[in-house]
Amino acid sequence: MNAVVATSVFAVFMVAAVALGLLALRGRGKGGGLAEWSVGGRSLGPVFIWVLMAGEGYTSFSYLGAAGWGYNYGAPVLYVVAYMSCGYAIGYVVGPMLWGYARRHGLVGITDMVAHRFGRPWLGAVVAVLATVFLLPYIQLQITGMGVVLSVISYGAVSLNWAYFVAFAVTTGFVVVSGLRGSAWVSVLKDVLVIATLGFLALYVPLHYFDGYGPFLDRLVTEKSDWLTLPGHGGGESGLGELWFISTTFLNSLTVVIFPTTVAGYLGARNADALRRNAMYLPAYNVLLFVPMLLGLAALFVVPGLAGAESNLALFKLVVDSLPAWAVGVIGVAAGLSSIVPMAVFMLVIGTMWGRSVLSLVPRLAERQKSAAQVVVVVAGGLALLLTYTAPNTLVRLSLISYEGMAQLLPMVLLALVWRRLTFRGAFSGLIVGVAVVCVLVFSGNDPVGGVNAGLVALAANLAVALAVTFAGPRDADPRPDAEVLAGDPVGDEDEPLAAARAAGGAGGASDHPV
Amino acid sequence: MFGVIRRRPQLLWLLVPYVLYLGVLPFVNRVTPLVFGVPFLFVWLLGATLLTPVAVWLTRRADLRNRGRGRARDQDRGRDRDRDRDQGGRA
Repeated sequence: MNAVVATSVFAVFMVAAVALGLLALRGRGKGGGLAEWSVGGRSLGPVFIWVLMAGEGYTSFSYLGAAGWGYNYGAPVLYVVAYMSCGYAIGYVVGPMLWGYARRHGLVGITDMVAHRFGRPWLGAVVAVLATVFLLPYIQLQITGMGVVLSVISYGAVSLNWAYFVAFAVTTGFVVVSGLRGSAWVSVLKDVLVIATLGFLALYVPLHYFDGYGPFLDRLVTEKSDWLTLPGHGGGESGLGELWFISTTFLNSLTVVIFPTTVAGYLGARNADALRRNAMYLPAYNVLLFVPMLLGLAALFVVPGLAGAESNLALFKLVVDSLPAWAVGVIGVAAGLSSIVPMAVFMLVIGTMWGRSVLSLVPRLAERQKSAAQVVVVVAGGLALLLTYTAPNTLVRLSLISYEGMAQLLPMVLLALVWRRLTFRGAFSGLIVGVAVVCVLVFSGNDPVGGVNAGLVALAANLAVALAVTFAGPRDADPRPDAEVLAGDPVGDEDEPLAAARAAGGAGGASDHPV
Repeated sequence: MFGVIRRRPQLLWLLVPYVLYLGVLPFVNRVTPLVFGVPFLFVWLLGATLLTPVAVWLTRRADLRNRGRGRARDQDRGRDRDRDRDQGGRA
């Protein structure tokens, strides 16, 4: 009976979510091209951008992983809050900069930007392949996450393998049809549910199990004080000390602003000011991330002894243990949508990157970018699903290098846009060295290395090589003027029609590049 | 890089979260003093999370003021807007 109630609630909301995504397209007509599908026709206002970007940041990791980390280690998990806040803050500058650059030159993603900056279309294709390798594990994690949630809230009635398939089918179908605009709409539903359920759990769980926050915190401080500071429970072994926290937060805060999915959110904005206002509101959303961690800590007392991957279920064990079936269903929906929305954006970004930067190099496909991109989405999703079934561990290993690998694109994407002197040879050799160092350190079990995040070490090597090669080698022979190649943050300019007209006229656009 | 900081010194506000979360971390990584029973590290990080939007708001406020001043000046100078921007006086 419980299973039927919870699963029905889940199913009804899923259907509603997909319907909402389709409704989002009403009045937009058919077709609309790649830019409408991938960046919402660059017409999303501040509210949609807010929910969309908050939605990407708040994945099923927040329900499963954050509670699991809270349960296993405690305080170290707060690095997520720290890097997202810092990243949103510097997004105040970087967001409008990338937005303006993409709009001026009609670009739809970072692969496009790299290709334009260095005047080499094949470089965009290389970056697209690299970024896909780093994004695929995230899709797989979301499929696994949603599968686990569905299986738990159906009290085991839906087997894991079927649950994975449902997650894949719903998301792929959804993203192919609705694109970025639909994702933004469903994000609204998701955010309402996430805020409501986490808010409720934050109040309910301490009351239900501990007679309120006072006694709960007392017990935490007296019995589990290991968990309350860095390096957290397990101290030295986990390697999650202060240095790790600082280096990881710093690296991730820089990486998150050029993460392909974040950039998709940036480019969907109607104007640069929507992004600046977002940079102001978004950090506040991170307050919610404290809740799963607290619930993970609460689970230490209620369901002790979870080990390994089971600890990821810390939050749901509490929920199933203490709430009626319909409420379990609703919380499952919130967690499920937290998988679908980010997964949809991840797939969308992969499709866009390939449609624009890889398949467009094939003359026959160049004119059908959008359909080609949609095919890529289905293939990428299918691949992630296949790997979920056949080789789950491969992708888990890959996911270790995802963020740290993506960080290696920083010089090529961000530094290149503000510094003309950086040569193609420099940026490319830096990238190769950076990715190689990440792979070696991570796969040899040396992350963190001496307490420092391995990705940051690799980025330092990356940057050193990029600078050395740039200064030692010849300058790039690129006749285009700076204004054509570099990006600026033209405060106030881009909202005025005058600026658009000037940009259309070519040279002399927003040329206050910050060098 | 430094030119931008000279023209928009308000961007330095964006470093505030880095200072709050990372710069002072060694000093706040402790359980006591408890604040209403909450361990100190959590209180600090929660405070940093609430102050980050304020830091961004301060940047934005300064940007908006500068823009307002830029607009007024543009009207005075009429068509000389391009010269104005070349001198870097706008941002």
